[in-house]
Amino acid sequence: MPQVRINGEVVVNFDGSSPNLLQFLEQQQQAVNYQCREGFCGACRCKLLSGQISYLQEPLAFVRRGEFLPCCSIPQTDIELEIPK
Amino acid sequence: MAYTTFNRNINDQLKEPMFFGNAVNVSRYDQQKYPIFEKLIEKQLSFFWRPEEIDVSKDRIDFQQLPEHEKHIFISNLKYQTLLDSVQGRSPNVALLPIVSIPELETWIETWAFSETIHSRSYTHIIRNISAEPHKIFDDIMLNERILERAVDVTRYYDDLIDGINLYQRCGEGTHQINGKTEQITLRELKKRLYLCLMSVNVLEAIRFYVSFACSFAFAERELMEGNAKIIRLIARDEALHLTGTQHMLNILASGDDDPEMAEIAKECEEESYAIFMRAAEQEKDWAAYLFKDGSMIGLNKDILCQYVEFITNSRMQAVGLKPRFATTQNPIPWINTWLVSDNVQVAPQESEISSYLVGQIDNEVDTADFGDFDL
Repeated sequence: MPQVRINGEVVVNFDGSSPNLLQFLEQQQQAVNYQCREGFCGACRCKLLSGQISYLQEPLAFVRRGEFLPCCSIPQTDIELEIPK
Repeated sequence: MAYTTFNRNINDQLKEPMFFGNAVNVSRYDQQKYPIFEKLIEKQLSFFWRPEEIDVSKDRIDFQQLPEHEKHIFISNLKYQTLLDSVQGRSPNVALLPIVSIPELETWIETWAFSETIHSRSYTHIIRNISAEPHKIFDDIMLNERILERAVDVTRYYDDLIDGINLYQRCGEGTHQINGKTEQITLRELKKRLYLCLMSVNVLEAIRFYVSFACSFAFAERELMEGNAKIIRLIARDEALHLTGTQHMLNILASGDDDPEMAEIAKECEEESYAIFMRAAEQEKDWAAYLFKDGSMIGLNKDILCQYVEFITNSRMQAVGLKPRFATTQNPIPWINTWLVSDNVQVAPQESEISSYLVGQIDNEVDTADFGDFDL
């Protein structure tokens, strides 16, 4: 079960009860910006500081190196992410 | 130099830059330099909708019962959106098609502009329904100073680019005497105009539409003008996709992978890019003040809307590699997001779950497990 470290503080296990990382973050009461929830708008962009995620569907939005879209991904390994302020 | 609709040069389209290379000859998609544009086309096609599919008849009753200051908010936003989509329905074609050099991007531009024409037609659909005299509303767009003010900024960068392209394709680089006037153009200058034009389009789609969107959804939160909100929701979904397309173009250009000179130009244009964003944000805040001049509406007032403009401007700036300039970090109207979720968009009753369904879609994946309960 991969561990998710959020903003350098909270560490939670990704236990598979959420279909993607965006819902997972919302369940942890983390405010993440979002719009389409389908990977084409890019509003939910977060920083991936370490670890690997895999996309459930390839995002259409522009994603820079070091960033990822939580709305259409799940963690592959333990990850560390940062929600932009 | 001169534009040709079917370029006879035999070229490798995979080696062309996005803009200012050889004009496109064969529209082929078997090979793609940037497959993202092909994916955007497919997504846009899967989004296809027509305004007539949405029933707006209850909106007429709602509208008649709105207080005057809310009618002003509703109508003014529609007028402004009509202006924006009038521009967007034609300008990407006029400005970008003569200079584009790869087929998948060319087709994306056409697909994008086409969907804007659907938006334009949907405003007529909405306005015809709520008013017995739709012509008065449309006629006022060309007379309303508040709208015309922003039209100047919305169209300026398009016009500069188009003007430059005309000169360049007719006469080439250099100084030319045209109708007694001395005009100068270089390819570098044109590239700069292109970059700024895309930045201004990005701002149009990323910020300018959202004040109107917020008002439409605020009405619908009160179960008013819901037909309109359904249409606006479809428009917002399209706009989010167009925005992604424009962000891709800007980021590819700025990376320099496509055309090294473009990376320099992107750096040079950074200050002006900031200025384009900030000017648009200020104008949208002024617009919010104009909308609410006679009174606010439940759930939304000038201050909240201004904060939302700042919030969204910050996030759009980050998407194209600029630093946020406003202090606002929280979305003051988080409820708007539920209206912007793609999956909640519903057009037709038979389409109760997924909005982006493809007509005649067939699932071709067959697994041996599918035959599990078959007996021979």
